[in-house]
Amino acid sequence: MSLRRSPLIVSGLLAAGLTVAGCAATGPGAAAASDGFNDPLEDTNRSIFSFNQVVDENVLVPVAKTYRTVIPPPMQQSAHDFMQNLNGPVIFGNDVLQGQAGLAANTLGRLAINTTVGVGGMFDVATRVGIPHHSNDFGTTLGTWGFDEGPYLVLPVMGPSNPRDLVGQVADGFADPGDQIASSYHRIWASVARAVVSGIDVRSRNIENLEDIQRTSLDYYATIRSLYRQRRAAQIRHEEENLPNPTPVQGSDARPAPSMSYSIARLPQSQQSWPK
Amino acid sequence: MTRHSPAFGALILILGLLTAVPGDASAQDARAFIGNLGNQAIQVLGPSVSPSQRVARFRELFREDFDIPGIGQFVLGRYWRTATPEQQQEFLRLFQEYIVQAYSSRLGEYGGEPFRVTGSRQAGEETVVNSEIDRRSGGRVQVDWYLTNRSGRPKIIDVYVGGVSMKVTQRDEFASVIQRNGGQVDALLAQLRQKTAAAH
Repeated sequence: MSLRRSPLIVSGLLAAGLTVAGCAATGPGAAAASDGFNDPLEDTNRSIFSFNQVVDENVLVPVAKTYRTVIPPPMQQSAHDFMQNLNGPVIFGNDVLQGQAGLAANTLGRLAINTTVGVGGMFDVATRVGIPHHSNDFGTTLGTWGFDEGPYLVLPVMGPSNPRDLVGQVADGFADPGDQIASSYHRIWASVARAVVSGIDVRSRNIENLEDIQRTSLDYYATIRSLYRQRRAAQIRHEEENLPNPTPVQGSDARPAPSMSYSIARLPQSQQSWPK
Repeated sequence: MTRHSPAFGALILILGLLTAVPGDASAQDARAFIGNLGNQAIQVLGPSVSPSQRVARFRELFREDFDIPGIGQFVLGRYWRTATPEQQQEFLRLFQEYIVQAYSSRLGEYGGEPFRVTGSRQAGEETVVNSEIDRRSGGRVQVDWYLTNRSGRPKIIDVYVGGVSMKVTQRDEFASVIQRNGGQVDALLAQLRQKTAAAH
C-alpha cells in the first residue's frame, strides 16, 4: 500500500506485472525445476533482495528510526490511523468482491466512524468500540477467486511479491479514490507524500522484528519467502479476520507507542504494505 | 473391600484408559496445557527477564513441552531419510538449540501481552488449541497450537502465528540451505553449529 500510489510506479508495475505474468504462463516447465519453492527466478530474486537490503539499511531504516525518535508517538499513531483510513475504500471494495459481507460491513462502519468521530481518520475510534481493522487487497481477491500465486518475485524496493499480488497492487492503485482525486486535480505530490509516509510508517513498526529474523536466520531470503507465501495464503483463507470481534478496548492508554508492535506473521509484507 | 483381585485392578485400569483417551477429556487437557504454557511463555518473554535468562527458560519449556524428534524429522523433510543416524542425532541436537535461540528472540515482542485460549478441535491425530494474544498496538494475533499425544502426554508439534506455521517456515529455510549446498546435510549442520556457537 505504500509505493504503488505513484501513477508512474503503477504504470511501470503494470507493464512489469503483465510481462512477468506472460512469462509465467508460457514457461511452466521452468517453475518445476526449483523443488517446491516455485522460485524459478531465484538467482535474480536473490540479487534484488540483496540490493533491497542495502537500500533498507542505508535509507529506509535510518529514516524509520529518525521518524520514531523525532515524531511523538501519538502523532505516529495518528499518521498510521489516517493512512489506514485512507485505505478503507479499497479494502471495502475487495471485501465486497470476495463476498465477505461481514467484513464489508465492518470496513464501512470503520470508515464512517473514523472519518467523522475520528476526525478525518486521525483516530481509530472504531477499534475501541469493537470493530478492529483488517487488511484486504486485490491480490487476496484474485486468490479467493482461485488464481494461482505464480512464481515468487522480489521487486526492487517493494520486496516480496508474485504475479498475482503484483496485478493486485496495480488494480488497487487504480481503484483508490484518494489517488483518483489527487490525480484529477493534478496533485500527484499528495499521492507521493502518502506513499512515502505510509512506507515510513510500516517500516518503523518492523525494525526490531526484521532485525531479529535477519540475525537469527541461516538463510534470510528463504525465511522471508516462506513467511510471505504462508501469510498471503492465510489472508486468503480469511480465518483471522472472521473471528468474533473482541471486546472494546477501554481507556485511552490501551494503544501506546507503536514501536515493536508487529507480529512476525506480518513481517513478509513489511517492505511494502499492509499496515495492520 | 480393601483387597481386590488383580483381574479387577486390571479391569479398572483398562476402563480408566478407555474413558480417558478419547473425547472431551483430552481436549480439555490440551486447552489447560496450552493455557498454562502460553502464560508461562509470555512471562518468560517479558521485558523484565534478561536475554540470557530468557534463553535458558525458553530452552526448558521447549525441551519439556515440544515434540522435538517429531518436529526435527519434519523440518529436515526429505533429507531426514538420506541423513545417516549420526547426522540425524546431531541435527536434533543442533536444531533444538537453534530454535531456542532464534525463537526466544523472534517471539520476544509478545512478552507480557495478554494471552487467552479461545477454543480447540481435533484434526486427525492432533489436537488444535486456538489462542489469541492482544497486541499492545490494539490488534490481536491468532496463535494455533498443534498437539500430539504420541509420547503419552500432550506435546506441541507446531505453532501457527497469524496463519503461518513455524514448522513449515523452518523446513523451507533448512531445505533451501541444503539445496544451495549441493544437497549436503552436512552443510546445514555446519551452519547450525556456527550459528548456535556464535550466540554463546
